[in-house]
Amino acid sequence: MWRKSKPYLLLLPSTGVIVLLFFGGLFDGLLKSLGYFPAIGENQMSFIAYRDLLGSESFWESLRLTIRVAAISSLLAGILGGALAIALFMLSLSSKTKHSRLWQRLFQLPLTIPHLVAGYVIVLLFMQSGLLSKLLAAAGIIKEINEFPVLVNDAFGWGIILAYTWKEVPFIMLMLYPVLARIQKSWRDVSRVYGAGTFRFIREIALPIMMPSWIIAVFIVFVFTFSAFEIPFLLGVTYPSMLPVYSFQLYTSGTLAERPEALAVNIILAVMTIALGLVVYYFSKRWKITKGWQ
Amino acid sequence: MTGLHIEQVEKKYKTAETDLKDSFALEPIDLAIREGEFFSLLGPSGCGKTTLLKLIAGLLEGDAGKIRFGDKDLTHVPPEARRFSMVFQQSLLFPHMTIGENTAFGLKMQKVGKKERLSEAKRMLRMVGLEGYENRFPEELSGGQQQRAALARALVAKPRLLLMDEPFSALDPGLREDMRELLSGIQRELGVTVLFVTHDREEAFELSDRIGIMSDGRLLQVGTAMELYEQPASSKVASFLGLKNIISGNIRAGYFKSEDNGMEFQTIHKMADGRQFLILRPETLRPIVSNSQAPIGSVRFKGAVSKLKFKHGAYTAQIQAGNLQLECALSRDEAEKLEPAQAMELYVNQSDLQFVEH
Amino acid sequence: MKRMFLPLRICLSLILFLFIGLPFIALLISSIAAGWQWPDLFPETFSFRAWEYILVGSSGTWQSIGTSLLIALIVMIINILLAVPAANALVRFQFRGKRLAEAILFAPIIIPPFVAVMGIHLTFLRLGLTETILGVVLAHISPTLPYMVRAVMVSYSTLSTDWENQARMLGAGPIHRFYHVVLPHLLPGIAAGASLSILISLSQYLITFIIGSGQVVTLPILLFPFISGGDPAVASAYSLLFAGMAILALFSLDMALKKYYQTKNPSVLKVKGAKR
Repeated sequence: MWRKSKPYLLLLPSTGVIVLLFFGGLFDGLLKSLGYFPAIGENQMSFIAYRDLLGSESFWESLRLTIRVAAISSLLAGILGGALAIALFMLSLSSKTKHSRLWQRLFQLPLTIPHLVAGYVIVLLFMQSGLLSKLLAAAGIIKEINEFPVLVNDAFGWGIILAYTWKEVPFIMLMLYPVLARIQKSWRDVSRVYGAGTFRFIREIALPIMMPSWIIAVFIVFVFTFSAFEIPFLLGVTYPSMLPVYSFQLYTSGTLAERPEALAVNIILAVMTIALGLVVYYFSKRWKITKGWQ
Repeated sequence: MTGLHIEQVEKKYKTAETDLKDSFALEPIDLAIREGEFFSLLGPSGCGKTTLLKLIAGLLEGDAGKIRFGDKDLTHVPPEARRFSMVFQQSLLFPHMTIGENTAFGLKMQKVGKKERLSEAKRMLRMVGLEGYENRFPEELSGGQQQRAALARALVAKPRLLLMDEPFSALDPGLREDMRELLSGIQRELGVTVLFVTHDREEAFELSDRIGIMSDGRLLQVGTAMELYEQPASSKVASFLGLKNIISGNIRAGYFKSEDNGMEFQTIHKMADGRQFLILRPETLRPIVSNSQAPIGSVRFKGAVSKLKFKHGAYTAQIQAGNLQLECALSRDEAEKLEPAQAMELYVNQSDLQFVEH
Repeated sequence: MKRMFLPLRICLSLILFLFIGLPFIALLISSIAAGWQWPDLFPETFSFRAWEYILVGSSGTWQSIGTSLLIALIVMIINILLAVPAANALVRFQFRGKRLAEAILFAPIIIPPFVAVMGIHLTFLRLGLTETILGVVLAHISPTLPYMVRAVMVSYSTLSTDWENQARMLGAGPIHRFYHVVLPHLLPGIAAGASLSILISLSQYLITFIIGSGQVVTLPILLFPFISGGDPAVASAYSLLFAGMAILALFSLDMALKKYYQTKNPSVLKVKGAKR
C-alpha cells in the first residue's frame, strides 16, 4: 500500500502549495470578480463587473493593443531568432572550434536581464533624445529632435514591441538551437554531394526541421507577451494600456467598486492564456517537438 | 540449516514497471543453495532469471512464498538489511566517488571507520588486480577494470550471498575469460556463496558447482553440469544445453518410432507407451567399419555423410539418415576414412539411448 | 570553405554588437554622464555622482539588495524542498492523476501569476501577510516553482534506479541512498533550477509591489521610480547594478557547481545512468 500512495505523498507538498497559493488566488479572484466579498458584506454573486467591462470601449482598446503588440513582437523575435539560430548553426558546421558555444552564450545574455532593465535599455536607445537619435543626428541624417519618430510611450506600442523582441530573440534561439543541432554534419556533406549549396541546404533541410519548433516557440513568446506587465507599464501610454496594466490601473485606482472589474480582467486574461497554452500543448504533443529537449 | 532457501516464490507482472510489454509470470519456485556453493541460473533472456535474482535480493517483492537464509526469514527484510551483495551487468560504480571510495561504500554503510574501510578496500582491490587504482575515478578505468572494481566493492563487506546478474556479458570475449578465472579463484579463496545469472552455458558450466535451468518463468532442472548433460529432464533442457540429435517420436510395445517414421527400433528400456524424445549424444554414435563391430542388440542406422566439420580440434560428421540430420563425433582416423556423400552405417549401444518424456 | 563564412562572421559580430554591446554601452555612458544633451554623441562632462549616490549615499541600495537576495534565497530553498520529491514522483512513478499533477504544477508558467496574487491580495491582507517578507516569499513561489520542478525532472530522468539498487545491495538505507547516490546526480539539475528560481524572483516587480505594498523594498521596487522618468544617470546606474546582480547570482552558482565537481569528478556532468 505504501508503494501505491508514495507518489501522491511525494507530490502533496508541491501541489498543495500551488493549489493553495496559485489556484486559491485564482479562485479568490474569481469570486471577487463576481462581487462575492463577505468581508465588506457582499454576499451576492453577479456578472455586473463582466457586463460593465465588456461594454466599455477601453477594455476592447486594451485587448486590441495587447494582441497587436504580442503578435508583432513574437513574429519579429521569431524571424530574428530563427535567422540567428541558423546563422550560428551554419557557423558551427563550418568550424570545429568552440567559438559557437561562446557566440550562443553572448547572444543569450538578454535572457538574464530583468524586464525592467530591458525596458529601460529601450528607453535609452529609442526615445526621441535617445542614443539612436543622437547617432542619426551625428551622421547628419536627421536635423531636428522631432524628426526621430516617437517609439517610446507611444500609442501603437512600438517601445513594448522593441523591448520584447530584444528579450525574446535569445529565447527563440535557445528553443531552436537544440533542434538544429540534431542535424548531423554528414547531412551537410550528403546534400553537398547532391549539389545543394548553402542556401539550398538551409531551405531544404534546416528550415523544415526547425519549423514545428519555431511555430511553438513563437506561440510561447506570444503567450508570455500577452500577460506581461513590467515592460508595458514602463514603455506604454496610460490609454490604451495592455490588459495586465489595465487591470492594475483599475485595481489601484482607489475605488473599491472598480476592483471586481480589475479581477474580471484578470480572469479573462487567465482564461485566454489557458486556451492559448492548450493550443501550444496540443501542437507540441502532436509534432513531438518536446522529445528533443526533454 | 544453512544456505539460501527459496520456497514457493512467485511473481506476476502486468505493468510496464519492468519494461516488459507482455505480462509475465514467475511460477512458484523452490530452490536451495548451499553455503559456499557457486550456483548458476541459466536460461534464455526473458526467462525470469533476473526477476528471481531480484526477488532474492529483495529489490522486487514476491506475490507469495518465502525466502530464508539459514534460520532467518528474509521475505520481508529490505534489501539493504539482507547483507547480500550484487554485481550488475553494468559496473554501476558511482561516478562521483573514487575507486577506493566506491569499494569502501558497503563498509561505510556498516559504519566501519574510515581508516579501516579504506585499507580493507585496498586489500580487496589488490585481490581483483587493481592495486594502486584507489584514487582514480571510474571513468578513467576500462570496462574490464570497472567490473573488477564492482566485484571488489561487492565482496568487501563480506556478504552472506553474492548475487551476480550477467556481470560479464557487456565485456569482450577475451576479457570475459579472464574475469571468469578471476571470479572462480576469488570465490574459492573466500568461500563466498554465489548465485550467478547468465544465458551463456559455457560460462555456467565453467564456473558452477550446480546449475539451475530456467525457461518461461519455470525452473526446469537443477543439477551439476555432468548430471544435466547426461540426464536432461526434458527435451527443452537438452536443446538449451546444446545437445544434438534430439528426435521426437513414440513408444509402442517396446518399439520406438520417430515422428517422421525414418527410424524404428526395439528398445530394452522399460517404458510406458506414449510420446518420447530420444537423445543421441554425438559421441555415442559410432560408425560401423566391419560387420563384427556392432554389439548384438545395438541400434543401427543407415545414412549418408552430408558434411564433415573440423571444430575446436574435433571432427564431427553430419549424417543424413532418412529425414533426420544426425551429428556424430569422430576420431581423426574415422574422419579420414569418410568423404561427403559417402553411404555409411552407424550404431548406438542400447545403454547409451536416452529418453525424455517432454 | 572557411573564407565563405567570413562575411557571416562579420555580420554576426555586427549584430552582436548592436544587440548586446550597444545597450550596455548606452547604460554605461548614461550612468556616468553629467547632463547629456541632444545631439551630442557623448556627454560634455562625466561624473560618478550617480554611482556615489546609489553605492555610498543613503539610498538604501544595499538594504534592498539584501532584501532581494534574502527573498530569492528563501524562495529557492523552499522550491528545492518542494520540487525534489515532486520530480521524483513525476519521473519515476506511473499513477492515476499524473497528468493532473503536472497540469497543476506547470500552470503558473502559462497563467500569469499576478492574476493569482491580485486575487489573493485581500486574503493576505486579512492574514497580515502583506507588507511582510514572508508574504512576498509566498507570492514568489508560484512563478518560480514550475521551473525548479522541470529542471529536477530532467535530472531524475537520467538517473537509472540501478544505481540506487546497487547502493541498496551494499547496505545503504534510504537516507544514505539519497545523500550518496541521488543527490550528487541531481545537483546539476537543482543548480539549474535554482538559477532560474533566483533570476525570476529577483526580477519580480508587480507581485512584490502588490503584496509588499511598497514596504518590502527589493531592488526592482527601489529602481522603478528612477527608470520611469527619474534621474537618467541614477536609473542607468541602478539598471547596470540590477543586471549585474542577476548575472552575478547565476555566475556564482555556476562557479560553485564547477568547483564542487572539480574537487569531486570533473566529468560527472557527462555521466548518465545507464537507462534500460
